[in-house]
Amino acid sequence: MKRVEFTLNGKAVACDVEENELFLHTLRERLSITSVKEGCGIGECGTCTILIDNEPRYACLTLAAKVEGRDVKTVEWLGNADTLHPLQRAFISRGAVQCGFCTPAMLLVAYSLLLKNPHPTCEEIKEALSGNLCRCTGYVQIIEAIESASGKGD
Amino acid sequence: MLSSLPAAAIVAGGTDLVVRMRNGERHSYLIDVAGLSEIAGITPEEGGRLRIGAAATHGQIAADGTVRKACAGLALACSQVGSPQIRNMGTLGGNLVNASPAADSLAPLLVHNAMLALEATGGARTESLERFITGPYRTTIGKTELLCSVSVDRLEGYEEGYRRVAKRAAWAISRLSCAWALREEGGLIEDVRIAVGSCTPVPFRPSRAEDFLRGRRREGPVIAKAVEMVADEIREKSGLRPSFAYKLPVVRDLLAEELGGRSCS
Amino acid sequence: MFIGEDLDRVDVLEKVLGKARFAHDLKMEGMLFGCVVRSEKPHARIVAIDLSAAMAVPGAARILSHKDIPGQNAYGVIRKDQPLLAADRVRYVGEPVLIVLGEGEEAAREVASRVKIEYEEIAPVLDIEEARRGVRVVHDSGNLFSYKKVRKGDVEKGFAESDVIVSHTFRTAWVDHAFLETEAGIGFMDEGGRIVIKSSTQNIHYKRAEIARLLSIPEEKIRVVQATTGGGFGGKLDVTVEGFLALAVYHARRPVFMRYTREESMLSNTKRHPLHVEYRTGAKKDGALTAVKVSIVGDTGPYASYGDSVCLRAAVHATGPYEVPNVWVDSRLFYTNGPVSGAMRGFGVPQLALAHESQIDEVASLLGMDPMDVRIKNGLKRGSVTATGQHLSASAGFVETLKRIEPYWRERKRSKKASGFGLGSMYYGIGNTGVANPSRALLEVVEEGRIVLHTGACEIGQGSDTVLLQILLETLKMARAEVVLDRGDTDTSKDAGSSSASRQTYISGGAVRDGALKLKEVLEEAGYYRGRSLSDIYRSLAGQGNLFFEGFFDPPAAGLDGETGQGVPYATYAFATHMTEVEIEEPTGTCRVKKVKAAHDVGRGINPRGIKGQIYGGIAMGIGLALMEEFIPGRTTSFDTYYIPTSMDMPEVDVMVVEDEEPTGPFGAKGLGEPALIPQAASIVNAIRDATGLAVYDLPCNMERLKGLLEDKKKR
Repeated sequence: MKRVEFTLNGKAVACDVEENELFLHTLRERLSITSVKEGCGIGECGTCTILIDNEPRYACLTLAAKVEGRDVKTVEWLGNADTLHPLQRAFISRGAVQCGFCTPAMLLVAYSLLLKNPHPTCEEIKEALSGNLCRCTGYVQIIEAIESASGKGD
Repeated sequence: MLSSLPAAAIVAGGTDLVVRMRNGERHSYLIDVAGLSEIAGITPEEGGRLRIGAAATHGQIAADGTVRKACAGLALACSQVGSPQIRNMGTLGGNLVNASPAADSLAPLLVHNAMLALEATGGARTESLERFITGPYRTTIGKTELLCSVSVDRLEGYEEGYRRVAKRAAWAISRLSCAWALREEGGLIEDVRIAVGSCTPVPFRPSRAEDFLRGRRREGPVIAKAVEMVADEIREKSGLRPSFAYKLPVVRDLLAEELGGRSCS
Repeated sequence: MFIGEDLDRVDVLEKVLGKARFAHDLKMEGMLFGCVVRSEKPHARIVAIDLSAAMAVPGAARILSHKDIPGQNAYGVIRKDQPLLAADRVRYVGEPVLIVLGEGEEAAREVASRVKIEYEEIAPVLDIEEARRGVRVVHDSGNLFSYKKVRKGDVEKGFAESDVIVSHTFRTAWVDHAFLETEAGIGFMDEGGRIVIKSSTQNIHYKRAEIARLLSIPEEKIRVVQATTGGGFGGKLDVTVEGFLALAVYHARRPVFMRYTREESMLSNTKRHPLHVEYRTGAKKDGALTAVKVSIVGDTGPYASYGDSVCLRAAVHATGPYEVPNVWVDSRLFYTNGPVSGAMRGFGVPQLALAHESQIDEVASLLGMDPMDVRIKNGLKRGSVTATGQHLSASAGFVETLKRIEPYWRERKRSKKASGFGLGSMYYGIGNTGVANPSRALLEVVEEGRIVLHTGACEIGQGSDTVLLQILLETLKMARAEVVLDRGDTDTSKDAGSSSASRQTYISGGAVRDGALKLKEVLEEAGYYRGRSLSDIYRSLAGQGNLFFEGFFDPPAAGLDGETGQGVPYATYAFATHMTEVEIEEPTGTCRVKKVKAAHDVGRGINPRGIKGQIYGGIAMGIGLALMEEFIPGRTTSFDTYYIPTSMDMPEVDVMVVEDEEPTGPFGAKGLGEPALIPQAASIVNAIRDATGLAVYDLPCNMERLKGLLEDKKKR
C-alpha cells in the first residue's frame, strides 16, 4: 500500500492505495465519489473523466500513485443544490441531460474548456467534447448548453 | 534504476500500459518518468533541429508554437491522436516505445528525419526512427534503456501536410496516414519528403518516389507517376494484403490530392 | 398550460450534481459480488465442470448452477425458451452457465476465471444460408423460428400492371445498443424476507413475474425497483442481472451486487437483428406504386427474446409510409448459434426503411420524377389503407412532414461537387403489435396535501417521467409543486408495461390521463377548484377510504390474421421525414453528414425540448447505423472495436414538429423514441446516391465499402 496525498475538490485528502491501483477505483470505492463512472475501463468512453490540474483525463487510465500532489476535481466541485454552477444551470435549461450517465464528465470537460477559452466557438466546443461519448442526446443540446453558459447564444 | 529492478516497466502517461495491465500484464515495479524534467520540454537544437522530450504529451506538442511553424505535419498529427483526454495524458515517448503501426506521429517524424536519444546506465545512444521500430509493436529498446528525447528537422519554408483516415471523425485509430513536406523553388520541387503510416508493417519513406519528384515540376502527371511509385513500393514491402484493396487506392488518391497543393502549414 | 411546455426534467438536478444513483453506484454493507461464467463455444454439450480451483480462491463464496434454480429455468419476453443458466447444452458464445459469488469484485472475477468447463463441441450453425438449409439444427424443432406474412391484393397482377419494376437485396449487420451504463443491479432480502432487486432496467413488473417463475415463489414475495438507468434502447428489456441476483440472494441470503464489464455487455447483450431483405417494387409511370413484394430473412440467434416482434414489425412496416394496393411480404427469422438478437430501437423497421426508401428513390429516378413527388403521391394519409388493410382515420401527418421539408428540398444546392441530398421517410406503429399492451397508473392523495403519481413506467433517459407529469398537471390544472412522482417500484405501482415500442407517452400517458380525470371529478366535487386545500380534501377522502385513483389505457388495436397479416396492428402511427446532406471525401471513401432537417409527426408535442433531444439522439444513432456500427462476433470487444458517433460526427440539425393530433392519445400525443432514429440511415444512403451516383445496399456503408464502390465506378 502507498499513501497518496492530493487535493480533491479544494480539500486536502490522504488516501492509502495499492501500488497498481487505478484512480477510478480509488475515487469510486475508497472515496465514494460515484459521480465518476466506469463505462468501459479502457479509456474509450469518457464517462470516467476527471480534471487533474484543470485538465481532463480518464480516471480509468490514471494510476492512483500518479495523483500525488495534484489538484483533482470531480463534478462535485462545480456546485451543489443551493448554488449551481452556470454550466449546471445551462445543462438543465437546454435539455442537455437525458439518461445522465455521461453528464458529470461532460460538465467537467466544459468547465475546463471555459477556463482556458471563455468564449469558444461551436467547433471548439465539439472538439473539446470529442473524448466523451453520449448515446442519448446526439450532443446538440450539450453543445448549446455550453455556448449558453459561455455567454454566447441567448 | 531500471537496470537494478527486475520486471520493472516505465510509465509516463499510462494510456497504453494501463490497458495492458487491465488485460493481465504484470510488473513488480512501475517507474514514473512523466515528471522528469530531463525528458520534458521542446527546445530548438543546433543544425536546424528541434528536440522534443519523450515526456512531452501529444497535447503539448500540438500546441507548441515552434512545432506548429516548423513541423506543421507533426503538430497536426499529434492534435488528432486519441481524444483530448488521451492527448493530455499520452506522451510521444510512450507512443514511440509502444510502436503501434497506427501511431499518428510516426509518419511526420519520418518526414522530419527523427533521431531518438536513449540512455541506460551503461551509456547513451542515438538511433534513427527507421531503425528503432523493427516491426509492429517492436523496437530496439533495451530492457534497461529509457527513451529521452526525439530530435527532428525544422522545416521552415516548406509546405507540409498530414492526413489520416479513420472510421469516425474523432477518437479513432488511423487506418492509414500520410505525411509530407515539400519545398518549391522556381517552379521545381527542390525537396520533398513523404511518409506513409498504418499501411505497411512499419511506416516508411518511399525514397524512389521522393527521388523521382526532386527536380521535377509540381504538376498533375508528375505527381500521378510519383504516387504510383509509392503504391509499388508499398506492394514490394508487404506483398499484397487484403487491406490493400482499400488502402492502395486511398494512398494514391490522398497523396495525389495532398501533393497537388493542399497543406496545413 | 403544461402541454408544449419545456418543463425541467424531474431528475435533472441530481444528474447535474452527480448525485443520481445509477445501478452501478448501488452499495450495501456485506454485499457479495456476482459475476457470470459464460460459454466460450457457440454450440456444445457441457461434459464436466470442475470448480475445485475456483473454490480454492480466497474470497470465493458460492457458485450457482442451473441445479440451484428452484422454479423454471426458462424465461423470455414472448416465448419462455431461454435458460437463465445453461443445463447440459450451450448455444451461443456468452451463454451464461454459472453464477460466481465472491467477497468483492476482484475475488469474484478471479474465481470465475478459474472455473474449468469441459465442452463437447457441436458443429455450430453460423451462417444464415446454412440455417435455412437446416442440415444442422440449433434446436430439435428445426431452424425456422418465426414466420410472418402480409398479403394484400394480388402482387403478380400489380407487377403486370406496372411500368417500372425495381428489385434489390439489402443487408444490415448486428448492432449493439451501446448504452453507456452497462447492466448492473443489487439484490437483497428485506426484513420481511422478501427478495428486493434494484437494477438498470426498462421494465419492472415483467422482471418480477420472471423472477417469481424462476424461484417458484409468489410475486408478492418479490420487489423490483428501477435504479436510475443509464440508457436502454431495447437492451434492458430482457432479464439481464435480475434473474442472477434473485437466484443469488435466494441462496446466499446476503446482498449481492453485479455489474457487467463493457466487454461482457457487448458479448452477451442482445443485438439488432441482421436482416437480408429482397425487395421488389412496381410503379406506374405517373409514380403510383402498384406492388411491393418483400422477402425478409434474419438471424435471430439461438433464443427467442423479441424475435417474434421484430419478425412481425418488419413485415407490417415493409412497404414504408405509402399506400400500396398489392403487397406480399414473407418475413422469416432463423435460429443460429450467433449472438441472440432482440429488441433494439425500431424492431426491424430501421432495416426495412433502408430498403423501402432506397427503392422509392430508384423508382423516382427511373421515372424521371423528383423523389419528393413520388413520396407525396403515394404517402399514407387520412383515408388511406395500409398494407395490413387498416383504414387510417386520423392522425396521419406524413404528407405534412414532407411538406415541411419540401421548401428546403426544392431549393437544395450542392455546396461542393461531392455533396448530395437524400430523403428518408418512415412510419411506425406505437405500442406492441396487434396485442393488448395496457398501462395502469395510480394516483394517490396524500396527507401533505399533494398528489402522488405512482407509475411503473421506466424512465431510461427518454423523458417519460417528465412527460407523464406534464400530462397529469395539465389534466388536473395543478402547479408543479403540488404533484410528486413515485416511479419504478413494483410495491407502489401498477404494471405500465415496458418502456419500448415508443409507447410510454401514448399508453402510460393515456393511463395517467384516465386516472387524473377520475381524480379530477372527485376534486371538483370536493371543492378543490373553488379554493379548498388538498390537505383538507385529503382528510375527507381518507375518512371515506377513497385516496387512490387508478387509470387504465390499452390502445384500441386488434389482432392480425395469421395467414394474411390483415388487421389493425396499432391504434396509431408516428410519421417522419428526414432530409440529409452529406459530403463524400472521394479519396478515402469517407461520408460526412453535414445537415439534417427532421420533420416528425408526434401527434401533439408535450415537451418540445425533450422532442428535440430524442431526435438529435436518434439521428446520432442513425449515423452510427449507416456509417460505422457493426458488431462482429469474435472481433468486437469494447468501444475500441465498436465505434459510435462522437460530437465531431454530428451534423447541424433542424427539427420541425408536426402535430396531427391523435384522438385516442393524451392531448393528441403519439410517440417518438424510435421514429427519431428510423428515417436517418435511409436518408444518408439516398444522399450518398445523390452525391456519387452509387447505390448502397449493405450497412454499415463504411469507408472500405464506399471506396470500393467508388473504385468500381471508375473502372466502368
